[in-house]
Amino acid sequence: MTLERRDRRLYYYRSVREGEQVRKVYVGAGEIARISHEGDILRRTGQEAEREREKAELKRLEALAAPVEELSEAADVLARAHLIASGYHRHKGEYRRARSA
Amino acid sequence: MPGALERHHLPADVQESLDELRELSKRAEAGNREARRDLRRKLREASPVVVARASDIGRWAQQLLIDTASAGDPLTQDALSGRLDMMREEIAGENPTPLEILLTERVVSCWMQVELFDVLMAAQLWRGNEKCVSPSYLKHMIRWQESATRRYLAAIKCLVQVRRLLRPSMQINYAEQQVNVAGDLKR
Repeated sequence: MTLERRDRRLYYYRSVREGEQVRKVYVGAGEIARISHEGDILRRTGQEAEREREKAELKRLEALAAPVEELSEAADVLARAHLIASGYHRHKGEYRRARSA
Repeated sequence: MPGALERHHLPADVQESLDELRELSKRAEAGNREARRDLRRKLREASPVVVARASDIGRWAQQLLIDTASAGDPLTQDALSGRLDMMREEIAGENPTPLEILLTERVVSCWMQVELFDVLMAAQLWRGNEKCVSPSYLKHMIRWQESATRRYLAAIKCLVQVRRLLRPSMQINYAEQQVNVAGDLKR
């Protein structure tokens, strides 16, 4: 977004992406240009704050999931070790009694 | 919560034991008899410690999930805690083995996590158009929700497999017919 001053008058343009191209779109001049520009700044700041909040929320979810993941992995290793020690082996995801056991 | 994030990690010696068990299991499964012998020995040595430490993490994880879900409301905290106790008792059954206790803790923790993620997801969607969350945030939330559900189902499957395969069975002759009984014999 650009606020341009020409001949003592303000002109405001927004940048709009269309595929790989970025197009400059005229919004308005004078007071309209100033108000639109300030509105866009406020909206963008709000969006950035919202992204930060989302990022923090995702980090919190990660911290909630981590201990359960750790527990799951330990339980899996131990269960598998017990089954294999008892003479089983995996075949297509299912445990079967090994012939040699 | 100082040091809270460190508490969800297993101690280094337990991690080492798990790595060793993983490696021995792999070799034993490939048919190495010596590895199977070593695996049995290592299990005898390491299993009680691994079960104890991993169960600690499970309990801690459950408390963390309860605190988040209840948002500090003591009544909800008590209700959830009671619900988990009931589930634990029901799933573990009578005289569970240490491994079954650990697998039960895992099922209970995973259930609580699925419930919490479902509620958080519903809360995001309920906000509707009032305050839209970004698509990438929703994508992450869905990913967390899906992996929590997958983990929960895997936890149930693992417990069922262990119960089915590690309980000794016996053969009895009844009315001139041979019957195989699998069950509670080792307890």
